[in-house]
Amino acid sequence: MNRASDQPEPNPLREGLAARPVPQPCSIVIFGATGDLTHRKLVPALYNLAADGELPPGVVIVGFARRDKSDDEFRRDLEETTRKFSRQPVRDEIWNAFAQTILYHRSEFGDEAGYKQVTERLDEIDKSHGTRGNRLFYLAAGPDQFEAILKNLKAAGLNQTCKGSWARIIIEKPFGTDLTSARELNRAVRNSFTEEQTYRIDHFLGKETAQNILVMRFANAIFSPLWNTHYIDNVQITAAETLGVGTRAGYYEDAGALRDMVQNHLIQLLCLVAMEPPTDLSADSIRDEKVKVVRSLHRWSRSEIAANVVRGQYMEGNIHGEPVLGYRQEQNVNPNSQTETFVALRLFIDNWRWADVPVYMRVGKRLPKSATEISIHFKKAPAVLFNKDLRDLNVLVIRIQPDEGISLRIHAKVPGTSFRIEPVKMDFHYGTSFGKPSPEAYERLLLDAMSGDATLFARSDEVEEAWAFIDPIEEAWHAKKDAPELCFYPAGSWGPEAADNLLTRDGRAWRRL
Amino acid sequence: MPATAKTYSLGTPVEIGKIEHELKRLWQEGEGAMSRASLMNFAVYSEEPGSLQNNTQLMAQITENHACRAIVIEADCNADDDLVSAWISAHCHVSSVGSKQVCSEQISFLLKGGCTTQLPNIILANLDSDLPLYLWWQEEFREQIDPQLWTWVDRVIFDSHGWSDFRSQIRLLELIQEEANQHIVLCDLNWTRLDNVRFALAQFFDHPASHHRLAKISKARIDFAPGFRSTAILFAGWLAAQLNWHIEEVKSPCELRFTGASPRHIDVDLRERNGEAVHEIALTSADVEFRITYADCGDLLEISRTQKSETRHPQLMPAGKNDPVGLISEELIRGGPHRVYLNALNCVRDLLCGGP
Repeated sequence: MNRASDQPEPNPLREGLAARPVPQPCSIVIFGATGDLTHRKLVPALYNLAADGELPPGVVIVGFARRDKSDDEFRRDLEETTRKFSRQPVRDEIWNAFAQTILYHRSEFGDEAGYKQVTERLDEIDKSHGTRGNRLFYLAAGPDQFEAILKNLKAAGLNQTCKGSWARIIIEKPFGTDLTSARELNRAVRNSFTEEQTYRIDHFLGKETAQNILVMRFANAIFSPLWNTHYIDNVQITAAETLGVGTRAGYYEDAGALRDMVQNHLIQLLCLVAMEPPTDLSADSIRDEKVKVVRSLHRWSRSEIAANVVRGQYMEGNIHGEPVLGYRQEQNVNPNSQTETFVALRLFIDNWRWADVPVYMRVGKRLPKSATEISIHFKKAPAVLFNKDLRDLNVLVIRIQPDEGISLRIHAKVPGTSFRIEPVKMDFHYGTSFGKPSPEAYERLLLDAMSGDATLFARSDEVEEAWAFIDPIEEAWHAKKDAPELCFYPAGSWGPEAADNLLTRDGRAWRRL
Repeated sequence: MPATAKTYSLGTPVEIGKIEHELKRLWQEGEGAMSRASLMNFAVYSEEPGSLQNNTQLMAQITENHACRAIVIEADCNADDDLVSAWISAHCHVSSVGSKQVCSEQISFLLKGGCTTQLPNIILANLDSDLPLYLWWQEEFREQIDPQLWTWVDRVIFDSHGWSDFRSQIRLLELIQEEANQHIVLCDLNWTRLDNVRFALAQFFDHPASHHRLAKISKARIDFAPGFRSTAILFAGWLAAQLNWHIEEVKSPCELRFTGASPRHIDVDLRERNGEAVHEIALTSADVEFRITYADCGDLLEISRTQKSETRHPQLMPAGKNDPVGLISEELIRGGPHRVYLNALNCVRDLLCGGP
């Protein structure tokens, strides 16, 4: 994938080396540095990059947060959580060297003086560590703080670059809560940073299997002729988890499954499956094609939404043999909550390739299994010869998580004198074929942002188009009159019956996971 | 399943004509409990007595990360009678996702007598179809091998470090390349030994502010362990090939002088010291020294860039493992052509061949 235009000429000593070039040294400033994301994901990811020799020498991590802490206290906290959450065991020698690059800066997000002080600190780091003005800002704080942070970064001149250096900003989801707020956020970002400097992170895109979708589609000639309405009957995307809302009720009560998962992760996966081949592998070529898919999503009228979108909420039930609470009984959840923990959609992509191919999506909490996958269901072979009585279709399954891999269901004759045909599965497992574990999504994405490669990050128009698709559904659900009902499902089931009906009325069924 | 009970045993003896049949049975017996995996055919050839057991032990470790069909061959070419014995076994490991046993199969052969005539058929008859063939040749190359074998080999792995006559071995490799219509990839473990050091050095110059330093390199020091002079020379050859230097003078076996494009001189000192194969590199470019050295713990490299005006911030990077399993794993994971190796080799070919 291509690198940004501000990237240097190739290094002759890099030729033939398996590892990717190490990005330029930089300071990484994490806003919300005492939060969960920093402890569970970001710092473990940075540590793993350091342990694999992929983090540039001279990188300095500056944690920016409100709590009072010294550098040493911050390092100790991070060491504890990194030991717990790191992909690979923490080695003392590496951690000790890595920890020396971690600093803490206490400030309110809205306090201008705090940004002036951090600027001075970054200037010193530039001199002492050779980071030469390269800065990566990571907004890991709550979305309500984004605007204040962006404004103050600009006021402190931290969005500016001098010749040869760069400043980039990574924004964590949610990218707004609807189209209006997304536009507002994009406007706030644009006021401080250009689109080229902005990296909207969707960790699903950093997963190895998500990246492999493009390789599978465009590096294998066998799929290309079949990848269209002539041969594909339907596409199904499932993101199921056994977990309930846990400690995220505060956020989830306002967001719900549609905003939390569909607007970003599931639509991004759909884009990778449905996009046209890009002209090249540059970030914008790929994102140009992805945004066309979102633009082509059929917009339902309010009355059609009830027939094509199902929302559900889990009740008490059993997961792995253990009784679990219903959503409304969870901590910090309104006992009359109307928030959906399950969504199923039947949607269409109104373009030449995908006309009349339904895409069924479902996402839910407290389902029987945790699994994210895309399945491509091919049309039946002509109903002559062997195919008269066959019910099963050929299915290509791309497993995003867990047990990443690809399987293909085909038909085979059962050995014997009679002519019985049964489906069999050809299965490729990443874990079986490649012994080396994949890097965590955040490792890949942080490295990409440092390298200036925005391919796996969402562009503002993608985000806005996705909200333009989601908003009418949310509006219909929250309409005072004739709002589609919220269905309930017992925890541990595959969601409400209405979700099954979306497919059964089309003569189809959800793939059994 | 008896064949998997002892990972390092050669497994079940089988008749040569029934290998596939017996392998099938092996998998049927273990069905459900394990998955067979294979990304390549990996043949290993050695004439060292006892190598069958040693290589089986290596395979048990290599297959942890590289699922393959292993074909391990020990040959006793001086035996009076022709005889071929075979065994089958499986190396099973818990997969990285942690839930199931992933197994690679191994076919072991003991060849006696006319080794060179038997070898191609033994390998070709036992390949897992549609998968590439990697051949780890642990002996010196000879002329008498049936050229057909080389047309099937995708990558030939060897270690030039142990060659007694570099010139003749390279000539034979070139012949092999010709017989394979140049499609065979030459994988020299002596070159693989340099991977992590090359990576550590290269990353200094990813930084655009360091690019110009490449054109100002005036001195290089390469510290190598006794017996690894050829490895150090290959490293010098790599620098020369990638930076467009040409050998100007061999002042002594340890002092080389290259000419750069400017034109300018680059002095390369080779120092023999105890330690890893190549255990310290120092490049001087104007007032900056770039240094890579093995850290005390042995499996990390300490890298640093020293200039008067900047604080020294040594950083640690993985050093990789220089044992056979580490080198082979590095080689198998890499793939792709070895153009850079050939360029490096050509730059210092005369030095490696013992002249001028």
